[in-house]
Amino acid sequence: MKDILIAGCMSLALLLAGCASQPATNPLAERQELKIDPDVLYTLTVTELYEERLSQPGGSSLLQIQFAVEAHSDAELAWKVTWFDERGMAVKGVGDAYRRASLLMGQNRFFKATAPHPRVTSYQLHLREPQ
Amino acid sequence: MLKRAIVLSASVLVLAGCATPTRYVDPAADNGPVAMTMDYRDFEKAASEAVDDMLASGAVSNPNGGRYIMVVSRINNDTMQRIDTDQLTKKIRVALLRSGKVVTTTAVGLNGAEDEMTMRARELRNSEEFDQSGVQKKGTLQAPDLSLSGKILQRNHKVGDEQQVEYYIQLSLTDLATGLAFWEGETPIIKRGSNDSVSW
Repeated sequence: MKDILIAGCMSLALLLAGCASQPATNPLAERQELKIDPDVLYTLTVTELYEERLSQPGGSSLLQIQFAVEAHSDAELAWKVTWFDERGMAVKGVGDAYRRASLLMGQNRFFKATAPHPRVTSYQLHLREPQ
Repeated sequence: MLKRAIVLSASVLVLAGCATPTRYVDPAADNGPVAMTMDYRDFEKAASEAVDDMLASGAVSNPNGGRYIMVVSRINNDTMQRIDTDQLTKKIRVALLRSGKVVTTTAVGLNGAEDEMTMRARELRNSEEFDQSGVQKKGTLQAPDLSLSGKILQRNHKVGDEQQVEYYIQLSLTDLATGLAFWEGETPIIKRGSNDSVSW
């Protein structure tokens, strides 16, 4: 009788564990939306960073970001956007490479990027100097 | 004679030791020099810009819900290089598939089906050797809604002591029901470098 009771309790515990929701993942460090390498800051300033959700004909929407930079001198820039879903997992786009851009002194340039999937809810924009 | 062989072997070994070692290149962090020819970075840039623009324009979002079916038509290579245009179209196909908005058919193509097995598998119909419940039925293939076509152009110029090579990657996405291009894009890739560099 006692064995049956123990076995029953264990089965119930296993069942409940299986039904339990997955524990939430915690980032080890807060992720910044805009990450700029210090070397880049000598040559340019990020003057704008906008985001909006673009409505799509099927009813879904896509995250789009736009940023603007102003160059203090002729400069080369490399930039990349990494996209994340609601759970913080990275969503793949076409490739992982940095996009390069050239800036003339005093020039304002605007760059846009569109999320590769409607489930994207956040992003990280990284600016660096191409070597 | 033996002395000469030893000296020669030693020289070969020394030279081999000085050679640049072969190494992997991570496409996500490649700071390597730029070639005058089109390399993987150029295809990635063109594909990224095309997919970004296609998604943002809404051209690949089916207003009736569900996914559009796309077929890859002809991408003309009008450059001096031997280019497999799949390097470009595959990236676009993969990204559009991942977006959940477009799926590409491999059952139709200008030079026959990309995957001939779709039709070959149907030849098993009425074969007594095969369990007919698993054989594909008639009328299950889906016709494409959209067609991706394009051209890669190259123009060379002499600019002072240097040469300038211009590549233009032009793409069109045609609605097969109406024949209208729902989306069009062009990515210029301009390179300037030594006259000694070759671009073919």
